[in-house]
Amino acid sequence: MKCGSMDWDAAVTWTANGTDIDDSRLNGSYLVLRNVDLMQSGQYSCYEGSSWHLKYQTYLRVGTPPKEPVLMCRSNNYPKGFYCSWHLPSPTYIPNSFNISVIHGTREMVCEKDIFPKNRCHIRYLQLFSTVKYKVTLTVTNALGKNSTTLTFDEFTIVKPDPPENVVAKPVPNNPRRLEVAWQNPSSWPDPESFPLKFFLRYRPLILDQWQHVELSDGTSHTITDAYAGKEYIIQVAAKDNDIGTWSDWSVAVHATPWMEEPKHLTTEAQVTETTSTSTSSFMPPPTTKICDKGAVVGSGAVAVCWTAGLVLAAYGVLFI
Amino acid sequence: MLNVAGEISGDSWGIFAFLCAALCNLPAVPALNGTDELGAGQSIQKTYDLTRYLEHQLRTLAGTYLNYLGPPFNEPDFNPPRLARAERVPSATVDFDLWRGLTDNARLAANYRAYSRLLCYLRGLDGQAGTAELRHSLGHFCSSLQGLVVSIAGVMSSLGYPLPAGTAAGTPAPAGASASPNDFLKKMDDFWLLKELQTWLWRSAKDFNRLKKKVPPAVVTLRLEARGF
Repeated sequence: MKCGSMDWDAAVTWTANGTDIDDSRLNGSYLVLRNVDLMQSGQYSCYEGSSWHLKYQTYLRVGTPPKEPVLMCRSNNYPKGFYCSWHLPSPTYIPNSFNISVIHGTREMVCEKDIFPKNRCHIRYLQLFSTVKYKVTLTVTNALGKNSTTLTFDEFTIVKPDPPENVVAKPVPNNPRRLEVAWQNPSSWPDPESFPLKFFLRYRPLILDQWQHVELSDGTSHTITDAYAGKEYIIQVAAKDNDIGTWSDWSVAVHATPWMEEPKHLTTEAQVTETTSTSTSSFMPPPTTKICDKGAVVGSGAVAVCWTAGLVLAAYGVLFI
Repeated sequence: MLNVAGEISGDSWGIFAFLCAALCNLPAVPALNGTDELGAGQSIQKTYDLTRYLEHQLRTLAGTYLNYLGPPFNEPDFNPPRLARAERVPSATVDFDLWRGLTDNARLAANYRAYSRLLCYLRGLDGQAGTAELRHSLGHFCSSLQGLVVSIAGVMSSLGYPLPAGTAAGTPAPAGASASPNDFLKKMDDFWLLKELQTWLWRSAKDFNRLKKKVPPAVVTLRLEARGF
């Protein structure tokens, strides 16, 4: 770095973020930085030797040229159009600008940039059922270089709906082996009448690893009839256009337990548990209450916590006796 | 339609649907009610099933045929510009708003015309193409496609629409009509034929989905009862 208009042999002092820089890095009045790394970003200032006049100041941003960007295009709103989104696999630490071009046969189409999220743009289909592929090229440029990537695809291959919404699973009264599952078409799918979706439902009890699957070609509900009685289930649904494209991601998981008959003897057992726990906590404090006793924290809050911990552990102990 | 625990494979379901269409050849009037609309409802469903079956068949057939044509035709990224000569093959590509606004008659007629011509061109494909197995697959596909053309004709007549004039389903192309002096250009023609056929089958699924919705609800209920739900 040159110290402004100062001569080579002038006496200067350089600082980096306010800290003086050692003379060994100087070549006359020039500051030489070798093997620059990210830690060396910052404010560099050059002061005239004796007067301490600020002669030059600059902000150094250390970055890297862009690596090949990652580009993805998808149609979650077929047949309206599709969107493309991108990101850099590793940061460059300096500002980057992105340029996206979409070519369909001989025609160049405009991909409208979304405000949110950034790094995303969308295109409306002008024609449907096209045999010509779409070619999307993303170029990322910064002060140190540029890089680009291209995707070529047919209209049908990028169709992937969003997952079904509002998945609800409920027990069925008086049916210990049933669970009623209902969901809605993803709200981003514009025309389920003409472009119907089919669904894939998977479910398993929490205690098992193996999923059971059901494929449904219409309807947005299904009754599971082979649930294990009394076991909590995890259920997910995915969607796909009936004829083209790929399956959506799995929906948010819902949990449900099939209906169980209320066993009457449980109420008396609970009462017994309560009476024994109160007596044990006063005569046999479980080991962990030592933490409460040892702790320097004194106050009603801490005491309440100790009490609850004692009660819980005592109840636990009773259950296991 | 089908509520299964994923056990019935697409193949056997498709073959069943095709056999129905091929053997019946005309829209089958179910034993419930002889109204034209009911017949149309069944026919539309059958035609839809046929397009799905054909699309499945074509995937295998196209792969084999493109391998026979050799590179670059069998490369997945092959994206050639559309030459003017290829416009002879009817294109499924259509303006979005235009497609949505098509009347039932126009929608069906477009499908009928397209498959009639595609069948012609397909029959004109190189008679000496590749292995005996490939020729057999091509022949089988042509029969299936013939079945589809007839099925569409059936839907149109049951709805009271006239068949488009000037399209004789199944007339083979005159020998040498599609032959071009250049071997590469001929291969390009074949490539585009298969591409358009595939796109048409995807489009037809959507066309028949729209047509299915036009069938009155009363007919749909009867159809469900017939299936024992």
